Amino acid sequence: MKKWFGKLFAPVLICAVAVASVALGAWYYNFMSARIFEDSTGHLEEIYAQVNRTFGAFVERNYGLLTNWGQYFARTGGQTVEDAVAYIEPKQGYWGFSEFYFLTADGRAFTMYGEEREMALDGCWDTVMVNHTPIMACYTLPSGEDATVFVAPSEQGLFNGTEFSAVAMSFTSADLSGALKVDAFSGKARSFVVHSDGRVLLSTQSGGMVFQNFLQYLKGASDLDEEELARIQSDWKNGVTGLVLCSVGGTERCVLYQRVGFQDFVLVSSVPENVVSAGFLSVQKTTVLVLAVIFLLICAGLITLLIVRGRRLSAMNQMEIQSRDLMYDALSESLDDIFLMLDLETLRTDYISPNVERLLGIRAQEAESDIRLLGKCAVNGDMFIPMSELQAIPFKGSIYRECEYMHQQSGERRWYRMTIYRTGTLDVKKCIFVLSDRTLERQMNLNLQEALTAARSANEAKSNFLSNMSHDIRTPMNAIVGFTMLLEKDASDVEKVREYTGKIKASSHHLLSLINDVLDMSKIESGKTYLNPDLFSLPDLMNELNIMILPQARAKGQTFTMHLKGAPPETLIGDRLRLNQILINLLSNAVKYTPEGGSIEFTVAELAGSSPQLSKLRFTVRDDGIGMSREYLDQIFVPFSREISSVTNKVQGTGLGMAITKNLVDLMGGIITVDSTLGEGSTFTVELSFALPEKAEAAQGLRGRVARLLVADDDEDVCLDVVETMRDTGVAVSYVTGGIDAVKEAVRAHSAGEKYDVILLDWKMPDMNGVDTARSIRENIGADVPILVLTSYDWSDIEAQAREAGISAFMPKPFFASTFWRTVEPFFAAEAPGQPPEPVQAPPASLQGRHFLIAEDNELNAEILTEMLDMEGASSELAVNGREAIELFQRSQPGHFDMILMDVQMPVMNGYEATRTIRASDHPEAASIPIVAMTANTFAEDVKAAFDAGMDGHLAKPIDMDAVRALLGKLFEERRSQGGQDA
Amino acid sequence: MKRRIASLLLAALILLPLSSCGKKGADSLTLLGKKSDLERSYMTAIFDLYEEKTGQSLNLISIEDAQYESEAVKLFESGGAPDIFLHFNNADLARFDVDGVFYDLSHEAWVSDLTDGACDYCRDAQGRLLGLPFWESSVSGCYYNRTILDGLGLKPAATQADFDMLCQALLEAGLTPICWPADGCGWIPQFGLDPIFADDPELLRSLNANEIAYSDIPAVQSMVDWIAGASEKGWFGGNALKTGWDDIGPALASGQAVMTFIWDTWFTTDFTPGRYGAEDFALMPVFMNTAPLGTYEGGNLNMMMVNKSSPRLEKALAFLEFCATPENYNAAFDSIATVSCFKGQTTNIQSPMVTEAADSIRRLERVSTAASRIAGYSGDDTAALIRALLAGETDSAQCVAEMDRVRMEEAKKQGVPGF
Repeated sequence: MKKWFGKLFAPVLICAVAVASVALGAWYYNFMSARIFEDSTGHLEEIYAQVNRTFGAFVERNYGLLTNWGQYFARTGGQTVEDAVAYIEPKQGYWGFSEFYFLTADGRAFTMYGEEREMALDGCWDTVMVNHTPIMACYTLPSGEDATVFVAPSEQGLFNGTEFSAVAMSFTSADLSGALKVDAFSGKARSFVVHSDGRVLLSTQSGGMVFQNFLQYLKGASDLDEEELARIQSDWKNGVTGLVLCSVGGTERCVLYQRVGFQDFVLVSSVPENVVSAGFLSVQKTTVLVLAVIFLLICAGLITLLIVRGRRLSAMNQMEIQSRDLMYDALSESLDDIFLMLDLETLRTDYISPNVERLLGIRAQEAESDIRLLGKCAVNGDMFIPMSELQAIPFKGSIYRECEYMHQQSGERRWYRMTIYRTGTLDVKKCIFVLSDRTLERQMNLNLQEALTAARSANEAKSNFLSNMSHDIRTPMNAIVGFTMLLEKDASDVEKVREYTGKIKASSHHLLSLINDVLDMSKIESGKTYLNPDLFSLPDLMNELNIMILPQARAKGQTFTMHLKGAPPETLIGDRLRLNQILINLLSNAVKYTPEGGSIEFTVAELAGSSPQLSKLRFTVRDDGIGMSREYLDQIFVPFSREISSVTNKVQGTGLGMAITKNLVDLMGGIITVDSTLGEGSTFTVELSFALPEKAEAAQGLRGRVARLLVADDDEDVCLDVVETMRDTGVAVSYVTGGIDAVKEAVRAHSAGEKYDVILLDWKMPDMNGVDTARSIRENIGADVPILVLTSYDWSDIEAQAREAGISAFMPKPFFASTFWRTVEPFFAAEAPGQPPEPVQAPPASLQGRHFLIAEDNELNAEILTEMLDMEGASSELAVNGREAIELFQRSQPGHFDMILMDVQMPVMNGYEATRTIRASDHPEAASIPIVAMTANTFAEDVKAAFDAGMDGHLAKPIDMDAVRALLGKLFEERRSQGGQDA
Repeated sequence: MKRRIASLLLAALILLPLSSCGKKGADSLTLLGKKSDLERSYMTAIFDLYEEKTGQSLNLISIEDAQYESEAVKLFESGGAPDIFLHFNNADLARFDVDGVFYDLSHEAWVSDLTDGACDYCRDAQGRLLGLPFWESSVSGCYYNRTILDGLGLKPAATQADFDMLCQALLEAGLTPICWPADGCGWIPQFGLDPIFADDPELLRSLNANEIAYSDIPAVQSMVDWIAGASEKGWFGGNALKTGWDDIGPALASGQAVMTFIWDTWFTTDFTPGRYGAEDFALMPVFMNTAPLGTYEGGNLNMMMVNKSSPRLEKALAFLEFCATPENYNAAFDSIATVSCFKGQTTNIQSPMVTEAADSIRRLERVSTAASRIAGYSGDDTAALIRALLAGETDSAQCVAEMDRVRMEEAKKQGVPGF
């Protein structure tokens, strides 16, 4: 009801005002018309009263003139035509009559020209002649024109010999019109002098004489009924003045009649009503028009005012809307919330914030025109909300949803909380949608949840770790403690002492490796592990691996082979230490979990996609060991995870190796995968990318001299590797797969004059080993051609025998071109083929007689090291901090110390600072004295820090004398090659 | 048929459509006329009467109506002019050498017996009487419903002002004052033009000499203005543009219209009585603002003209005298509905309307001047232009200009000198 009332109130009010205005106007108009009509008819009556008086005066004048003229003619006697004409003609022009007549008593009429006329005088001859009363009567002129004749009796006289008793003059309608000058009402009025029966005597209008009987005309042409006509006729007969309003031919006319005063004549005037009131109506119309104009002007003014105000308000609203839109736009651009206003009736979008394009990848205009586009962004289509649900939201109420949206351009997914507010008015239903970006909040929640899970896992892992560590540490410690107790007990039994100390040593090594792994893992997981990319040689790396793994494999009777696929670059840029760590882990595990007599294969291959700037390498470690269950594969890289089996239980391990490996591969941006079948073996694959240095052509000068190469290896893959590696070097490679074939081919080629420039032999071939093959070749073709042995084994044991058999040099597997060129270079450079080169690998150094400067603050460690060196036949001096070590070195003579073993963490001055000070000192051996770090800090960065400080090597605590000997051997060898003291 | 009909070929090509009838003889009068004219009953009656009473024969040469003018001209030009030649005194007569060929009959004895209208009709511009009018005639004027006027207490108009007042009074009484058949009735405009040129022969001469035009004559413009004004005031009713010849009778018979401009014989030939019959009508002059007291148009009369070069001139004049004898013409026109051409004409049937208005007709009748004597005048063309005026397609000035244009074009087409 209220709604209906609100809608119709304004139109009803306007209509009511309009109706009231029209009614008031109509009433006013009628009122004014009535008053005007009254005034107008009064005015009309006054006018025609004046006309009547004028006409009366006119008649009296004519009668007077006729009386005078008649008297003149009668008294002057014997008037001739000429006399009459001479007398009348001037007056005719002056008084405006048509003709002048002399009337005889016997009813004849003569013009002043003597012409006789028939004149009936409407049957009133007697009135004139007998009663001597002047009259007016109709008369038709000879031309046919109607005229009115005025007749006045006179004294008898003579005209043209005829006695006359009356004189007369005639007026045509035109004459009367001029004489009476009744030209009121714009000539639209008709005035007649009629007899009481309606017969027209005269008309004041030209042509008016066609009305023969005006009463009859009213009867035939007007709407007056018989009664009214009878009343009019009665009025006329009785000389009553009156006014009748009637319609003549559809025109309202006022018929006014007044007695003239002569005979029975009545002055009748017929005037159109609108002409009667024309003046007043004009005023009325003007008044109404002015009022209407004023009213319209006021209305127009009000409307204009309303329009202007409305426009101003509209403009202000528009400006406000635009400002708000601008504000919303600016605000939305800086927010990740989307605002949308929807009209529920039309389903049109009134507003949508422009950031919808940034946040959802939809243009705002498109979303405005089709709101369904927004729904399509919802990942699960959960944007759709039934209209009934929107309609059901209470006014000023709200609901909310959470949904995930996908950016239509980038595919990015974001979480939004969509709050829908119901707004509008009673008639207009609108909803405001606010899509608040909750992605960060949700992510934080997820992160918190994950963190919580992680914390729980970490806690669990910590518990597991502690449990594992407790078990893993206690196990070797138990052995150490237990065998130490047994050692005390059986100290006198040399065999048992040897046995116990050996087991104590093994347990110690295991415990040490466990600690190293734990620390390494801890470092990686804490994110403090950094890579140190640098140039390194892939052949050197593989050679070192070979050196390290081959003995372990041989110890278990395993076959360890290395292959090279695709001629990978030999110089790479990368973290050699970490790569080495990864590969050693994998290879060590392979050795560890492969039963005796098994085989381990290590392959390096360059992958497609490599470029001059980047080389992608795949390292594959394949064994035919115990393999792993599928279940364990899922957690192989989880710390402390170890597969439980009868075999693995017998193998010592920390359970951290694969986790460390995985983390290191991830750190290097690589991929590690594993494929394993329980009981059949495992294959680990690591794919890594390495930057490449600018290419340096090695041994360019040899390329022309080595044209043909014969390769003999029972493993054809090795032969093919050599062929592949040497493809672009200009060396023609032929291969055979056995020693005998090698001899035959060498002899054949030699006999054919196609001798090989270099012969490369495998050491161990089934039919004939490399040494025998070499000997046979030498015996057949001589000592000219260099014969190289390609082997994975340490050739030191057979070197003497090999050289005796004619082998020129050894090359480690796998085959690298650079190694090849470096190996054969001496034979071609010295033009002394067959001469044996220097041994390629220095044996571990002997410590006998060496004198060390030991910088160690820990007395126990210092004592152990001193004793161990002493046991090796070396001597030492001890400094308890860096400062003291510097002083001892400064005071020493050149050659007094062979090496400085420098602890890193020491009071007063640490080892790095002490090293830098020594290197910077003016001692003659400041630059050359080998300084080796001796520290429990075993991480790569620790090693790097040591080298950066000027040290030459790094030994991890506890000190392993084998490692000391190997390192010293290497350093001494380097010093010797540099012409140092030991050379 | 007492008279023998003989065909006379004047020339193989010229005379082929011609035929002659009569008693052939060397001194027989030759009388050339339009075929249909010669076959009129009063014509055959007088021919027969002549032959019967005089024993003389007539050699009648008739030409088909369509070729009459052209063939007659050729005949005159080829020296084959007849003794007596029948022709209307209209513009076509100018194609003949009127002065050179035809005898001036002004001094014949029978002239005084002619009515004024007939006599005037037969005179040329110089006042010479060109022929003996021997034809049925009518009076054109304003025929009004006297019954209606009497009923309304109105009188017929005696002046233009009366007429205008009468029209307005009738209009206010809810009647159509004038039935104006604007759709193709070309006879009305000439009624207004007749007084202008009949009253001023010099004006007619100047117009036909192309020295002046309608537009130079204020009375012509005055007439057109009046027509336009009457139409605007509603005096022609609301349907004048669609009113044609066939609509006049019903409009008058029903009383829908009170007056029309027509001729008396129309009531005999074309009027079918309705609510009102012919007896309800009377005649007053036509008022078209060109004659203050109005005008009547006399009938177009066929004249018997005499070839003054005829070897039988005396005989031809005697024939005309025979025809002008009251006994003879009353015998010929016995029971013929016509206005009298002779004062002694008594046996013809003259309409009461004409008789009643005889005095007025005597005073106000004009010879049919516009249609017959204005060079290039076309009633239909003029009516069409008036119709365009009433339709609002032109104004009065344009209408007069167009009337001039079509008149001049037609005159030029007819080869009228000066155009």
